Amino acid sequence: MRALNTAATGMMAQELNVQVISNNVANMRTTGFKRQRVHFQDLLYETQRRAGSPSSDQGTNVPAGIYVGSGVKSVSTPRIMGQGNLSPTEKSYDLAIRGEGFFRVQTPDGRTAYTRDGAFDLDADGRLVTAEGYLVDPGITVPNTATSVSINAQGVVTASIPGQVAPQQLGQVQLARFINKTGLESIGDNLFVETQGSGPAITGNPGAEGFGSLQQGYLEEANVNAVTEISSLIAAQRAYEMNSKVITAADQMLNATTQAFRA
Amino acid sequence: MNNTNLIGLSRQLVLQRELDVVANNVANITTNGFKRRSGTFSEFVMPVANADAAPAGSRSISYVSDRSSVLDLAGGAVEKTGNPLDVAIRGDGFLTVTTPAGERFTRNGALSLNERGDLVTADGYPVLSEQGPLAFTAADGAITIAGDGTVSTAQGIRGKLRIVAFDKPQALANEGKNLFSSRAAARPAGPATRLETGAIERSNVNGVTEIARMIEITRAYASLTQMMQKTDDVRRSALTRLADPTGA
Repeated sequence: MRALNTAATGMMAQELNVQVISNNVANMRTTGFKRQRVHFQDLLYETQRRAGSPSSDQGTNVPAGIYVGSGVKSVSTPRIMGQGNLSPTEKSYDLAIRGEGFFRVQTPDGRTAYTRDGAFDLDADGRLVTAEGYLVDPGITVPNTATSVSINAQGVVTASIPGQVAPQQLGQVQLARFINKTGLESIGDNLFVETQGSGPAITGNPGAEGFGSLQQGYLEEANVNAVTEISSLIAAQRAYEMNSKVITAADQMLNATTQAFRA
Repeated sequence: MNNTNLIGLSRQLVLQRELDVVANNVANITTNGFKRRSGTFSEFVMPVANADAAPAGSRSISYVSDRSSVLDLAGGAVEKTGNPLDVAIRGDGFLTVTTPAGERFTRNGALSLNERGDLVTADGYPVLSEQGPLAFTAADGAITIAGDGTVSTAQGIRGKLRIVAFDKPQALANEGKNLFSSRAAARPAGPATRLETGAIERSNVNGVTEIARMIEITRAYASLTQMMQKTDDVRRSALTRLADPTGA
């Protein structure tokens, strides 16, 4: 009976749905995390009677045909790239992006990765690095004599150096954006990498046209909404149960037939 | 004598098929823009078979056959997603999509951009505007879709999504992947059809209805099986009685 397989595809789909929801909830407090959702599609249909086919030689047509579907499949788990709330940290190397763009990060394997997580720090050499110690690109080095480093909304990094009246400019934080940012691939550690689907990175300064601006001393929270996630979780669980009921029903029908005629 | 079993069998086959339709509805309970189907049945009068033992007026035998699985085009729940490229259609319209197999229609408004900036569905099929496919560049910035389907960006109005309707939406054929195909030509949807941006239309499957229908199907199936079993018992006892030479 096809219903058994159809319901099984439904259960598999809901299992994936619960996995994605649980990952969203687990990352509720992850800086710069973007929630995901699952998109489903119906599978192929068996056409047993096509709508509009002639039902007689008098020109009458079938108004609605018989189409029996074969279940559901998951097609994508895109990230919702909406802005997360900014929460103040009062830490001078914490940066949040208001609007479009990603920070560029050099991973140890030589690739360029992109992140919305602006919880930066200095390493032993005074270079600006991520929480994993990966270099921020373009590199910014803060001299050890510098006091009160400030990063403005346009990404210009300046510091007061003792003995100098004017603040010294240390560098420029740059952002990258993509025509299709949902096409970025997540590699963990809050990092994304460019793919064929995202298109090439477009680099620019914060505050330039099409780019967001920076906010020093703030971090972007995850854009996960607990209420939405929990209600989706309940819906997914119920959908799973209903599919398992369909399997039970199909099983009962098969059972009725096999038990009926005992020799 | 055998007619009871054959008629019962015709009903059972149809019930199995109807459970397949219900199973597909339940499996797609979270599929965006999905439209449920439900079975309708008709009597099929068998011209060559009749019950000779019955009175003359009621000798014809009819079986059950499924006539159609009717598409239920009621709107699904509209859920706010906040994603600017999600559109939910209010009213009887469909979005137009180009696929390698030709033009297809969908109610699934979860749109996105691909690497070249084209407006596409989750499968990467271009979504059509009145003037053809829409493409955006980095200079366009945020994309806004208005209630009537007008797409505008920082560069001004870029086009209007092609929302179509059908005179006989029942005749739409499911193609899978949330797509429908139509043999009849589509017409532009009227002004009553509006888009809601930042929202998505969920499946119009109602879990309670489907489960109730499912229980009905299993019960009908089980009672038919019992009926067939009883007929079988009658025949068996007839055989044993008649074949018993002692006549006990």
